[in-house]
Amino acid sequence: MHHNPIFIENLSYSYPDGTQALKNINLTIKANERVALIGANGSGKSTLQLHLNGIILPQEGQVRIGEWIVNAENLREVRNFVGLVFQNPDNQLFMPTVWEDVAFGPMNQGLRDRELTERVRKAMAAVSMDLEYYGKRNTENLSGGEKKRIAIAGVLAMNPQVLVLDEPSAQLDPRSRRELITLLKGLSITQLIATHDLDLALEICDRTVVLSQGEVVFDGKTEQVMSNTDFLIQHSLEAPLCYSRPYCLLGDAPKKVIPTLQELTHHQH
Amino acid sequence: MLLHINAFHLDIDSKQFSFWHFLAPKTRVLCTLLLVFAIALTPNGRWWTWGIYGIGVLCLVLLSKVTLPVLFKRIAVEFAFVAVILFGTLFRSGGEIVWSWGIIKITSEGLTVLGSVTIKALLSLLMLNLLTLTTSVPALLNGLIALKMPPLLVAILASMYRYISVLIGEFNAMRRAAASRNLTGNSGWQRQVIGNMIGALFIRTYERGDRVYQAMLARGYQGVPPVSELPSGGKRDIVALTLTLILALLGQAIYLV
Repeated sequence: MHHNPIFIENLSYSYPDGTQALKNINLTIKANERVALIGANGSGKSTLQLHLNGIILPQEGQVRIGEWIVNAENLREVRNFVGLVFQNPDNQLFMPTVWEDVAFGPMNQGLRDRELTERVRKAMAAVSMDLEYYGKRNTENLSGGEKKRIAIAGVLAMNPQVLVLDEPSAQLDPRSRRELITLLKGLSITQLIATHDLDLALEICDRTVVLSQGEVVFDGKTEQVMSNTDFLIQHSLEAPLCYSRPYCLLGDAPKKVIPTLQELTHHQH
Repeated sequence: MLLHINAFHLDIDSKQFSFWHFLAPKTRVLCTLLLVFAIALTPNGRWWTWGIYGIGVLCLVLLSKVTLPVLFKRIAVEFAFVAVILFGTLFRSGGEIVWSWGIIKITSEGLTVLGSVTIKALLSLLMLNLLTLTTSVPALLNGLIALKMPPLLVAILASMYRYISVLIGEFNAMRRAAASRNLTGNSGWQRQVIGNMIGALFIRTYERGDRVYQAMLARGYQGVPPVSELPSGGKRDIVALTLTLILALLGQAIYLV
């Protein structure tokens, strides 16, 4: 595994209509880090993510993935290195059956027969889906949560070293969301997760990068930024629900914030 | 009519067990094409040839255990389209005039052509519907790839099959949204709204196509879809192909003796 899989230097990008999407981004992500990428709609999260896979090539600055600089020549290596999970699984599941869809990436890598079957089996196992049951099914006739899992399996089947997810918990019911969190926590692989679900970010990511109008305005510990309500509101965000909601049970309260019962009784004496 | 399309299943009989179902998809496609070409290329008026082919097709229909009501319903719908073309063949000149009314004449030649083309269309449609009813679309696409169809063309067919229900879903969602805001008024206004919906659908299709393509690129797509190894046919497939060929030749031979 590469020790420094993502290295972005002075990256800027503007869309053909002149909209500046990214301004002078500098970002380094280390191996096995799980980083949340948060920011308002249109702050440049998706544009930044598309750069990591070479779908968009840098206009200014440089993106280095592992030992490859993202440019037209290295696309094949870059795309094998970074797996991109799109927000809407309907955009990603384009093959007629689940098996064929999960096998799409590895087949592009040139895998066939036993190796291919093995990859597909492993990827499906990684997202806890039964290959026997789902393999032959039509990708269209799955629930939202199932589609999301298959989409992730399709990317994991390529054995990437970095997983880039765009809004992974969007449109999922609470149980599917919980399963997704467990799944992402269990994957020992570098992850960059763009999300509006700040509770998810707080739960699984130690580090958070905040984008605002194409610029990195914060890069550091997740707890630090999540507890800074003013800063979040300033950048069109909001403190996670678990921070803003009063505690229903004393046991749910964070340990450091509220003194324990023993401490209270101790002070009285 | 477009407003009432629901999820449809093309291949309701693909899970049956019969001799036909044990054939590899590519053999089924080949047998079907062979018969359809034999039927369609037979010159007009050779009733006995189609008699023989008809018996063959009928045997296949019974053998493959398709759901007959569904088969006939589909053929009835398809015939509504074919009938428009058939109607034109009736008023051909040439041969004896059987019936006339002013400038409209029906001749014996016209009747022969009408009868021939009707039989051709009926038998061909029976075969093609049999194929699509008994073979799932992915299997059919695999069969086409095994028959060396250009992979890009098959990929286009595959994504069409994959996204048609997404499109129908999007359109239904827009229609429901319009209905929930009380889309009423005269039919001119309704037509205009539906026209706008189709326009919006077109733009969304375009954008979605772009995103799907990005998702394909992200997983290493390089212009031609990957093709997996396909099982080649066994003895049974050779027997089926030979029987079809014999049937096709037998039908033609009857006018040679």
